[in-house]
Amino acid sequence: MKAVGARLPRYDGLAHVTGRTTYVDDVRAPGLLWTKALRSPHHSARILSIDTSRAEQHPGVRAVVTHADVPQNVYGHLEALGVPADEPLLADGEVRYRGQPIAAVAAEDEATAREALELIAVDYEEREPLFDIRLAFDPGAPKVHEWGPVFPHFGPHRQRRVRKGDVEGAFDRAHVVVEGVYRPGAIEHVPIEPQTALVVPEADGRLTIYSCTQAMYFSMGVVAQHLQLPLNRLKFVGGTVGGGFGGKVDTASETISALLALKAQRPVKWRWTREEEFLASSTRAPWHIELADAVTEDGWILGRRTLTLHDAGAYTRFSSYGLTKHAFHHAGAYTIPNVHFDGFVVYSNRVPTTAMRGFGVTSVSYAVELHMSRIAEVLGMDPWELRLKNANRIGDVTPNLVRLKDPSTVPVMQAAAERVGVELRPEYRAMSSEPRSGDLLPEHLVGNAGQTNGTEAR
Amino acid sequence: MTAARPEVLLPSSPEDAVRAFGDGTGVTVVAGGTIVMPDLTYGRLQPARALLLTRSGLDTITREGGTVRLGATVPVAALEDAPEPLAATARHVADVEIRAQGTVGGNLCAAPGAGAPRGDLQAPLIALGAHVRSTGAGGERTELVEEFLHNGSSEGRLVLEIEFDEPQAGARAALDRPHTHDYTALSVAACRGVDGTVRLAASGAAPHGIRLPSAERAYAQGGDAERAGREAIADATFADDALASAWYREQMLPVLVRRALTDLQETA
Amino acid sequence: MNLTVNGVEAELVSPPLATLLHALREELGVTSPKAGCQQGGCGACTVLVDGQPRRACLVPLGAVDGAEVVTVEGLGSLDGLSPVQAAFHERYAAQCGFCTSGMMIAAHAYIERGGTGERASILEALGGHVCRCTGYTKIVEAVGAAARGEVAPADVQADFDPQPGEPEILVKGAPA
Repeated sequence: MKAVGARLPRYDGLAHVTGRTTYVDDVRAPGLLWTKALRSPHHSARILSIDTSRAEQHPGVRAVVTHADVPQNVYGHLEALGVPADEPLLADGEVRYRGQPIAAVAAEDEATAREALELIAVDYEEREPLFDIRLAFDPGAPKVHEWGPVFPHFGPHRQRRVRKGDVEGAFDRAHVVVEGVYRPGAIEHVPIEPQTALVVPEADGRLTIYSCTQAMYFSMGVVAQHLQLPLNRLKFVGGTVGGGFGGKVDTASETISALLALKAQRPVKWRWTREEEFLASSTRAPWHIELADAVTEDGWILGRRTLTLHDAGAYTRFSSYGLTKHAFHHAGAYTIPNVHFDGFVVYSNRVPTTAMRGFGVTSVSYAVELHMSRIAEVLGMDPWELRLKNANRIGDVTPNLVRLKDPSTVPVMQAAAERVGVELRPEYRAMSSEPRSGDLLPEHLVGNAGQTNGTEAR
Repeated sequence: MTAARPEVLLPSSPEDAVRAFGDGTGVTVVAGGTIVMPDLTYGRLQPARALLLTRSGLDTITREGGTVRLGATVPVAALEDAPEPLAATARHVADVEIRAQGTVGGNLCAAPGAGAPRGDLQAPLIALGAHVRSTGAGGERTELVEEFLHNGSSEGRLVLEIEFDEPQAGARAALDRPHTHDYTALSVAACRGVDGTVRLAASGAAPHGIRLPSAERAYAQGGDAERAGREAIADATFADDALASAWYREQMLPVLVRRALTDLQETA
Repeated sequence: MNLTVNGVEAELVSPPLATLLHALREELGVTSPKAGCQQGGCGACTVLVDGQPRRACLVPLGAVDGAEVVTVEGLGSLDGLSPVQAAFHERYAAQCGFCTSGMMIAAHAYIERGGTGERASILEALGGHVCRCTGYTKIVEAVGAAARGEVAPADVQADFDPQPGEPEILVKGAPA
């Protein structure tokens, strides 16, 4: 651990301050073509026809691609993890969000590429879109996907479930039930570097792909699958990202650029505009989280019921994974022995959502912490004391049956209180992460360590 | 590239600029470029002819005998020590670098709408009773700024100069913008001329800057700032946009009018 | 059209309505100013035109014929950093680095016009520049340090060698 506490210079610092860091847009390639994508103006529509012939003939245009050019058009980001594919690279037959790419053009310059888009004729039949995921379960609600309103592949279930202990009993024994609904909204990543890809077709048949991806090997796999190319035909150059924050894991520009480069046999660059970034790039998801806690008047949380709706937007991408992480943390840093959690990945006709710092967990942390403060208010209890009392300790078992060996909730809160000048009562200042005993081990937490009470935890 | 390259004119004097502009048909004027250049970059504007005013000599400021004359391409930054309320408004336009590049003429001609009111300087100029001299079809003419805007004159007119008499006092009341990246959603400019008359104007209460004659009339009868604030609503055409709702603007206009008038009263 | 860029005269063939940013990046290969938004809103394209900081994405080439343009490449280099560059490196003011060029040009201009490093004046001077990585704290610190002459470029360049008492640095050099 020689590095901890040492002042290490950033290895890329000197390059940053001398303007020598090479981002994708800075790579020079002779004979470069510029790309523009035709994006759906509708939130939900059938595509009756696409005619690119006039665009193809426009002077200066070197390649136009649609779904017909893609060897494997539908590929899922998490297919390797058992999440079936549902998203086309280029729209085929329908569009499910405004901004969804339908066709792409590579031309001698940006203005020509833009003109070519005007020459692509698409015939749409608009459909009613769904924006409010709370309405997705209503029988008459607009359908985003044919199989139903939610992602249906959580094992045999159509939601992520966590069951532990006896939630009914907990609510029967509660002195108070505290309820709350929390709805953190979508957030745009807004990296200062827009999504950019540059693909150079090499003479030996390989593709050199300059990418701003945060996940090089992952993106390599995505491109290989869509284009049905063996991995050794691809050379990814990356690692220099002008801000990602989770928004550059979707391989959003590389594949289409590669497709165009193969067709035109010229280097192709696609640099998204700031407007495309706001319109078409994925966002952090909006969530709808309902918490109901069974609480005693002296501040023990006996049980929690949680219903989470996660707005995946038009396609699944990583949403099932994000929801699972969310589920792991739905008790927060606190020990709640009886839980009932249902979380749904719900589709809407919004831009597909993706990872963003703390993916899945920030939403539930936000809800849980607000809820803890709400409980304290209802009970007339100090919010620090409520938290310290219920905080994770060694030997406590989480809702997903992790037996904690080294939680740091108590010392971190005590340090935080000191930093902000909050004086804890002696009893609370004396607390530690040591296994519960005495007053900190009420009857309902006895046996909590390691036992499942015969119920499933899934 | 198949799009015909625009003809770019670079006049080197005000007279040259007038000649080059002609009746304005098919001419896109580029002053500071802060509003027009993104439209060109994104292909929203494809001019046949572009008139670059960089060297046209329209960037002088003169103060003579109580009259201030601003050339069309005077940068917004140069107005930061102009008479109030022009100075305070100028200081709240964008950031240091944009203010150095954007011009008073460009700001005066900022198109309404586009999700945000961008002609911030229109309101203080109206409150100052400023006149704008412009050229175009029918030749040169001079009119009050509020008439210039009302006639839709920013289309087909080339602004040459803006002129106003230094007021006795000026005040500005506005909704604070959280950051230099935000536009001011609503602001009120108030002036007391050398003859004692009070003029009021607002930005963000209509598609472009407007005078508030109802508020002025109410204030002239008894100096009640509160009442003037209420009357101002009649002059406005509120709309929702990305910054604020029509409802919110309607709540806040009377407050800002009252504040501007009160500040004006307190200024010698 | 003629420009002097970082002291070197250049004759440009880009059309007069092309942006200065386009001319610098695509025609001259000067890539430190970045295309972050092309609307003047992010500040990443900022360069000095005749000593004044300007959004290169908003400047038509025709308006700057004959001008002197300075970009980060002209502020200093690896064997001779300017005080602003040294401060930005030493104070960790760059993370992804994409906003850094514009920030440094603005900081340089701020100091040239007498900026003292007082916090509010730095925020005012750099108010048109967006950073999504750093949260601005280290940037403001670096600008203040540069304004007060607190970072000697020579010290920063020797940074890879461990100082007496400092642990051995595990990561040397720069990536390929």
